[in-house]
Amino acid sequence: MIISAYQTHIFILIFIYIILAVSLNLALGYTGLLNLGHVAFYGIGAYTSALLAIEGMPYLAAMIIAGLFASVFGYLLVTATDRLKGDYLAMATLGFSFVVYSLLLNLREITRGAMGIPGIPKPSILGLTVRTNDQYLIFVLLICAISVFIMYRIVKSPFGKLLEANRDNAVCLRVLGKNTFGLKYKAMMISAFFAGISGSLYAHYITFIDPTSFYISELILILTIVIVGGLASIKGSIVATAVIIYVPEILRTLDLPSSVLGPVRQALYAAILIAILMLRPRGIFGKVDLE
Amino acid sequence: MSLLAQSIINGLITGSIYALVAAGYSLIYSTNNFMHFAHGISVVAAGYMVYWLFTLAGTPFYVTCIITVILSALFGLAMYRLIYLPLQRKGASNVILLIASIGILTFFQNVIQIAFGSGVKLIGYIEVAKGITFAGITMTLLQIVILVISFIIFIMLYQFMQRTKLGRNMRAVSNNKELASIVGINHIRVSDFSFLIGSGLAGVAGILVALEQNLSPLMGTNLMIKGFTGAVIGGINYVPGSIVGSFLLGLAENLGILVLPSGYKDAIAFSMLFLFLLFKPNGILGKKEGRFDK
Repeated sequence: MIISAYQTHIFILIFIYIILAVSLNLALGYTGLLNLGHVAFYGIGAYTSALLAIEGMPYLAAMIIAGLFASVFGYLLVTATDRLKGDYLAMATLGFSFVVYSLLLNLREITRGAMGIPGIPKPSILGLTVRTNDQYLIFVLLICAISVFIMYRIVKSPFGKLLEANRDNAVCLRVLGKNTFGLKYKAMMISAFFAGISGSLYAHYITFIDPTSFYISELILILTIVIVGGLASIKGSIVATAVIIYVPEILRTLDLPSSVLGPVRQALYAAILIAILMLRPRGIFGKVDLE
Repeated sequence: MSLLAQSIINGLITGSIYALVAAGYSLIYSTNNFMHFAHGISVVAAGYMVYWLFTLAGTPFYVTCIITVILSALFGLAMYRLIYLPLQRKGASNVILLIASIGILTFFQNVIQIAFGSGVKLIGYIEVAKGITFAGITMTLLQIVILVISFIIFIMLYQFMQRTKLGRNMRAVSNNKELASIVGINHIRVSDFSFLIGSGLAGVAGILVALEQNLSPLMGTNLMIKGFTGAVIGGINYVPGSIVGSFLLGLAENLGILVLPSGYKDAIAFSMLFLFLLFKPNGILGKKEGRFDK
């Protein structure tokens, strides 16, 4: 390969996070759903896929079921938070992240709690096993391209326009006889589905997951990506993912001890998030404001 | 029987720490109307301040406490003046402020982790850690001190809100910002004071947490969720309500683990938070203020 093993690793992460960020943008940017529970869908997808694959299910089936299962939770979350809006909706969805996190931590019989799940098998499709990281990069790139293409087609479709109309003025849309609640359900379920897919890709790449991978620090990272890239901009989310995952790698050249590197990176993400909110709340390519 | 009584006492002790967090939080919420999630980091920062001044630098304990409370209050004011107020002036929505505050919380958690390491820190102020057993209930002197101090603070806070001019102004702004402005109340000044007092309370909570539990950089999120949950249960925009709610949460957690495995303590709190936000977002005692999609 032309790129180093470490860069391969970074690129794999970038492609996984692109799916995650674009799917969050579908809910947050295009539909205006203030979902701070996205990281829970990601975790649900990762655990579902990992547990099914360990039980011997073929990878593709496990991945799709992971997406569908996350999607079911997306449906439940909208059902539950239907009546809330603004910061109360944001807090309730954040509460959903906490509930899922503590369930992952406490349902020890299923999730092994804080010990996490080791030995998640590498994907194997039609007898071909993805063994090396180079092969995984190609595999992830493929899934990422398909996912982003589907989401791109969704937001450009008449349905996507309805989502944006719902975000901008739900009452007007209802006057026109559209079912705005139905739109919210569909958007959240699609968004959760792809979050579940990216969770699955993450779990089978790292081969070990534990609940801390799906908590506040992850949430800050994907929120930063979506807000920096700009709401309602798929292009923005893709560019921002690449920049925000890649740039902190410069920190590695500073030769910091690894115990400090993680917190420095997290602090940097949080600082970028605050800075972009203060300086340019629409992000790089954003078209709408967060309300 | 004594197990039940012990659980109730433990619930009250935990509840009083949650209540200190929640009281400050809901004081800030009621006058500013946005979720200051970074309140949790004021508590943790105060805890580490105690560790730094008292355990590492050897400052006398009471001097440490006074400095810590003052610095926490100023830390809160700085967050308001340097981040929230500029954002509000640019017309940022409550959601942006909430996201910014989660950002602040994460930022300082990691700064503390860089400065002090991720390991658990002990304050080592052992004079008060002796256990006293009375009628089958064991309490440490420190726990009695926590209960007494928090009750004194709650009474002072209530008197302050009811009797003083500033307290009345705060309630006026919390009730109706526009009307308060019309009668000449400067709401930014009121916000300044709500951040000073609220974060000062966080400082007190931080000192007590530091003495009662061990310090770790990531405890802020958990404390914030607990304080926030307490506030939501009791009524987030009503300070006495959020104090009552926090005690209820402390009791629910400690009574809940009589029947559930102890790991479920957090799950009890998170589920209560989620359920209250969904079904009773104004809490038990909170003011009826429509937050629903009309």
